[in-house]
Amino acid sequence: MTNDAPLAGIRVVERTCGVGGAYAGRLLATLGADTMMIEPPAGHALRRTPPLLPSGQSSLFTYLAAGKRSMTLDVGDAVDRAVLERELARADVYIDDFPAEERDRVGLAPGAVAAAHPDAVVVSVRPFGMSGPKAGWAGEELSVFHASGEGNLLPNGLAQERHPHRPPLKIFGYFAHLQAGVAAAVGVLASMVREVGQVVDISVQDVVVALTAFGVQRYGDGSIEHRSTRSFRYGGVLECSDGYVELLTLEDRQWRGLVELMGAPDWAADPALADGVQRGLRGAEINTALRAWAHTQKASELVAAAQRLGVPAAKYASPADVLRDAHEIARGLFQSVEVQGIGSIPVLTAPFHIDGGPLRLRGGPPAVADRERPPVTSNVEAGR
Amino acid sequence: MRPLEGVRVADFTIHAAGPFATHLLTQMGAECIKIESAARPDIFRKPHAVYGRMGPATFDQVASGKQSVRLNLKDPRGRDLARRLVAISDIAAESFRPGVMQRLGLGYEDLREVKPDIVMLSVSSCGQTGPDAGFAGYAPLFGAWSGLGTLTGHPDGPPVELRHVMDHSVGLNAAMATLAALVRRRRSGTGAHVDIAAREVASSLIGDALVEAAAGAEPARLGNASAAMAPHGVYATGEPDGWVAVAVASDAQWRALVDVIGDGLPDGVHRQSPLRERMDRRPAIDAWVQTWTRARSGREAAAALQDAGVPAHDVWSTADVVGDPHLRARGAIVPVRERSGRPRLAVGVPVRFSLTADVGISRGTPELGEDEDHVFGELLGLGRAERDRLEEEGVIA
Repeated sequence: MTNDAPLAGIRVVERTCGVGGAYAGRLLATLGADTMMIEPPAGHALRRTPPLLPSGQSSLFTYLAAGKRSMTLDVGDAVDRAVLERELARADVYIDDFPAEERDRVGLAPGAVAAAHPDAVVVSVRPFGMSGPKAGWAGEELSVFHASGEGNLLPNGLAQERHPHRPPLKIFGYFAHLQAGVAAAVGVLASMVREVGQVVDISVQDVVVALTAFGVQRYGDGSIEHRSTRSFRYGGVLECSDGYVELLTLEDRQWRGLVELMGAPDWAADPALADGVQRGLRGAEINTALRAWAHTQKASELVAAAQRLGVPAAKYASPADVLRDAHEIARGLFQSVEVQGIGSIPVLTAPFHIDGGPLRLRGGPPAVADRERPPVTSNVEAGR
Repeated sequence: MRPLEGVRVADFTIHAAGPFATHLLTQMGAECIKIESAARPDIFRKPHAVYGRMGPATFDQVASGKQSVRLNLKDPRGRDLARRLVAISDIAAESFRPGVMQRLGLGYEDLREVKPDIVMLSVSSCGQTGPDAGFAGYAPLFGAWSGLGTLTGHPDGPPVELRHVMDHSVGLNAAMATLAALVRRRRSGTGAHVDIAAREVASSLIGDALVEAAAGAEPARLGNASAAMAPHGVYATGEPDGWVAVAVASDAQWRALVDVIGDGLPDGVHRQSPLRERMDRRPAIDAWVQTWTRARSGREAAAALQDAGVPAHDVWSTADVVGDPHLRARGAIVPVRERSGRPRLAVGVPVRFSLTADVGISRGTPELGEDEDHVFGELLGLGRAERDRLEEEGVIA
């Protein structure tokens, strides 16, 4: 971590139990802030979230806690509470994603924390936010995602064709909560541009609704999208002999490149297909030929040849593919950090460069603090 | 005062991801000047046949609240005016292929000469550096490259295309990183070049699966299932194309679910069954839940489960989203009135600030060049005669 990391010198205190708040803290830590995770005596809830690595560590926690420090505190205990108050007094940012009843019970409601620490930005991440008729609703990734409108549009294309009667589908993993974490960081940083201490209220549902913006836009224009009709007229997911690729031609020159890529078959020479509108109308016919051709191709070879011809195409990469991808390695997307019981493994840092290079994590996820030792000096140091 | 009041953005972005980033900044109070030309307008101003949609494109949402000027960047005088705009801005944003801005004399080093502390945002498919930097890409390709599209889908089905939600996720991350650079600039006076790679944003959404893979496991498509919860699924209701999502996150929620649904638990599970037992009996439990959900509407099922503290929600279409009082109350869905007087609905900025209620969309879509009196006349001080001449000569065009 260099001293000119964007948020060097910023202190963040994070008391979280879910993905959204924890990811906000992770982003700020990766940007250079000193993020102190307050864990309950039983340890952070995500430490136990499957899938677990062979060493028993949660892969989710490993990702989200990398680069943070950690302190184990019982916020209901007077001595521990004094330690928390001292941390809060020095904090620029406080992140909390616990339910309102729990916050009220332990005296850490966002408004109360903000009143006691008026210079700090206090951010709340909840499934449906802090206000509004549904503020009290319980929410997990699956249910909040499907409350946003995006789930009704998934799967589309080939997956929907193959299984048209299956339920709407979520995006893999914790898409909604991770993006809520990004929105929380947006709120924190926007407040800090003018150095205004205040409460930032993030609803995971609001975030996914915002990210599905065009569905709302099109609704206003009079069209309602549905997964069964929301597919590219041709191209999209193509099955090759050894995997899947994504291929799209949105512009005429890309179409011409695709025709060349396929070896200029006779059917593609039809002059009518030079027109994008006609191609759209005859998409099913094009797709039949395109899919038959793709079946005879190897995914990596198809993609390499397509990109040479200016045809947008990409292989559907596995996580292992991404880890060993020459481009990602060249850009330093991963940094090897120490994970207890496993050793050194690559962990994704951040999806952007600032100042011409990747950001750096302080280290791997902190170990659970030893409650027998004084909390401030225990794994505060170990987490460095 | 809105959080970004006083921040000015020179916005060269096109398509969806970059414009969404500057749209978020605009909604939080930044003054955003969108730079296009009549010869090369943002392609999103036009309908696009490959989507099978010949009606209006989706430009309105992300252009809302921005100002619009025309500049022909192929003309050196147009590029000079662009640099003058950057010189009075705090942020310069672009989303061309890597190398285009440099060829126009508008690369980061060029812009630093006219504005030493500029924060420049570059949004691209694969980033400004690396062997694939020149690759063309659209949202579904980001999903493919990153592993996110590969992991999304049914276990026995193909990968799934991710569409605009991917572009907008890139824009959200871009806005966040830009704000981090702006915070540093306020604290230290240092500018920055922020380089966002769309495929890396998509990979950041599977950071946990990448950890698993690094430790030797092979994460796979799960559909709507979860490795951490059971039951966890989307169940058919009694309505046509009606569904309800139910995610039981704890033993207590499982007991609550059993109490709500009542009898008929499948063999091998009971009210006290821990997660492991529920995982082992997932198909039977899913069938049991669906028998119950099929007998009611999604809304009824979700309400009954929420009353018992079980995370559940009916699967919403866009029509449900725009009609929801909760989302309206929070400003997540906002009414916008275009200059023509036409009302429409839009999504707001997904951040609520306790000290600022007026974040969001303050005006509709600008016509191409609508704000040139303000931008060229007032901000850059160009006289009417000079502007007329530049228009005649195709510089402001």
